[in-house]
Amino acid sequence: MELGWIELSGYRCYPEIRVEPAPGVNVFVGDNGSGKTSLLEAIGYLSSLRSFRGAPDAALVRTGDEAALVRGEFVAGERSLRVEVEIPVEGRRRVLVNGKRPSSRAEVVSAVPLVAFLPDDLDLVKRGPSQRRDYLDDLAAGLWPSAGAERTDYERALRQRNTLLRKEGRRADRATLDVWDDRLSHLGAMVIRRRLELLERLEPRLSALYAELGERPEVFTTRYEGAPLGPLSLSDVPGLRERLLDALGAARGADLERRVTTVGPHRDEVVAIIGDRDLRTRASQGEQRTVALGLRVAAYEMLREEKGATPVLVLDDVFSELDPGRSRRLVEKLPGGQVFVSTAREEEVPLVGTRWSVAGGRVTVREGE
Amino acid sequence: MMFEAPIQRLIDELARLPGIGRKSAQRLAFHILHVEEEDARRLAESILSMRSEVRLCDRCFNVTDSEECSICRDLRRDPSTMCVVERPQDIVVVEKTQEFRGRYHVLGGSISPIEGIGPDQLRMRELVARIEDEQVSEVIVATNPTVEGDTTALYLARLLKPLGVRVTRLASGLPVGGDLDYADELTLGRALVGRREM
Repeated sequence: MELGWIELSGYRCYPEIRVEPAPGVNVFVGDNGSGKTSLLEAIGYLSSLRSFRGAPDAALVRTGDEAALVRGEFVAGERSLRVEVEIPVEGRRRVLVNGKRPSSRAEVVSAVPLVAFLPDDLDLVKRGPSQRRDYLDDLAAGLWPSAGAERTDYERALRQRNTLLRKEGRRADRATLDVWDDRLSHLGAMVIRRRLELLERLEPRLSALYAELGERPEVFTTRYEGAPLGPLSLSDVPGLRERLLDALGAARGADLERRVTTVGPHRDEVVAIIGDRDLRTRASQGEQRTVALGLRVAAYEMLREEKGATPVLVLDDVFSELDPGRSRRLVEKLPGGQVFVSTAREEEVPLVGTRWSVAGGRVTVREGE
Repeated sequence: MMFEAPIQRLIDELARLPGIGRKSAQRLAFHILHVEEEDARRLAESILSMRSEVRLCDRCFNVTDSEECSICRDLRRDPSTMCVVERPQDIVVVEKTQEFRGRYHVLGGSISPIEGIGPDQLRMRELVARIEDEQVSEVIVATNPTVEGDTTALYLARLLKPLGVRVTRLASGLPVGGDLDYADELTLGRALVGRREM
C-alpha cells in the first residue's frame, strides 16, 4: 500500500502543505524541530487515528487555529482509500473514509497497514509492561478488525468502571459494579486471547530475526503474566472469562478502597526472554536494541503476510541510534514498499530514494532528484 | 471571523446543536437570513411550540402532546410484550419495522458513570412497576449495541428475570438485502459469533 498524497492544514507547525511522496523511499531531511517527525506523525495518524508520539488530539492543532485537517489517499493496485480527519481543539474529531463515516476506529486501523520505528523503541524492551501491551494490542488491531473493537470496548468499559469507583467509592452500587465486572471479564478475556495468539506467532519469528539482525543465535520466548492470574498460555483461554470474573470479585474490596480497577489485562505483564535471560534485566543494550528492531520487523512481516499488502513503513530518526552493521541488516530485512525516513544527518541513512528538505513549515523535493 | 452581532448570535446557537459545525452553522444562518420572513417566523414558532406542547408520556416516557402517548392509548397494542429503548426516537425506528405490536418503555439513556448516569437516573423503577401493573410477560431489550447499551441490557436482565418475566435482547447481525461483501468487518464478525443453528 502506498500513500499517494497527503495534505495538512493547521497541523502542528504546518499552516498548509501538500506532499506527493514517491512510491519508494522518501527521506525527509531537516534540523531538529523543523517538523520532520510531525509529518511522519500525520502519516501515521491517517493509518491509526492516533499520534504515535502519544500526543492527545488537541496538541496536534497548530497554535491559533481552531482545527487541524489531515487528508491523504492510500493506493493499493486498483483500490484507493481516502482518509480525511478534522481534529478540532475542542469537541469530537470527524473521520471520513472515501467520503463516508466509518463504523468504528477499528475499521480504519485494519484498512491501512503501517509500521513505525520510533526513536524510543528501546522502551518496548527496557521499560514497564504498558509499552509491550500497546505493541501487542496495536498489532492485533492492525491484523484483525474485531481485535481493535474488542480492545476499544475493553478500555471503554474499564474507564466506566473506574469512573464509578472514583466518584462513588464505597457507596458504589453493587449491582451496577456486578454488571461492569461481567462486561469487563468478557471483553478482557478476548483481549488476553489476542495477545496470547500473537505471542505464539511472534516467538519463532523473533528467534529467527534475532540471528538475522546479527546476534549470536538464541531462542526468543515470552511469558505472559496475568494480573493476578499468573502465567497464562493459549490453553488457558477456555475458562479465562470465569477466572477473570472471580478475580474481579476477589479484588472488589481493594478496588472499592483504592477507587480503581486493580485486576485485568490493563495490568498484565509480558516478559521477553532471550535464551534463559530476562531481556529487561539481564541483556546488553545491543541485544535489547536488536529485539526492539525485531519486534517492528516482525509486525511488518506479519501485516504483509496477513493483509496481502506491503505496509507503509515509517522510520523516525532511527538510524542515528544504530551502528552501521545493524542499520545495514535492518534495511536488508525490509524489502520493497513505500518508506518514510526522517533524519537530521542524511549521511546516516543507508537508503537510496527521493530526498526532501523540511524547513519553516515547508516540505520541498531536492533539486535534481 | 466574526459577523454582525445578530448573525453571529444565531451562528453560535446553531453551532451548539449536535452534528452542526461552524461552517454548517454559518450556512444555515445565511440561508435563514435570505428566506421569506414568513418562513423564518414559522421555523422559530415551531421550535417554541414544540417545546411548550410536547411532554413525556406518563406511562412509557415517549414524547407526546397529551398525558399518554398514542401507542399507550392504542387498545389494539398487546400489553404483554414490552420493548425497552434508550431514547424516544428509538421508538420511531422500531415502529417503522411494523413487526412489533406491544408497548414501549423509554429508559432515558444507558448506564454510563462517565456521564453520571446510573440505574437511579434511568427509569428502571418505573419499568419494574409497569411490569407488575400491566402483567408483562416478555421484555425485549433494544438498547444500543455499545459497551454502555450492552451493560444496561445485562443490568435489566438481572433486574427483571427474578420477576418471572422473559427477557430477550435484539440480535446483531447482517444488514438484510445487501451482499455479504458490503458488510463491514465488525458487523460480519459479530454475526459470525452470534450465528444460529439451522
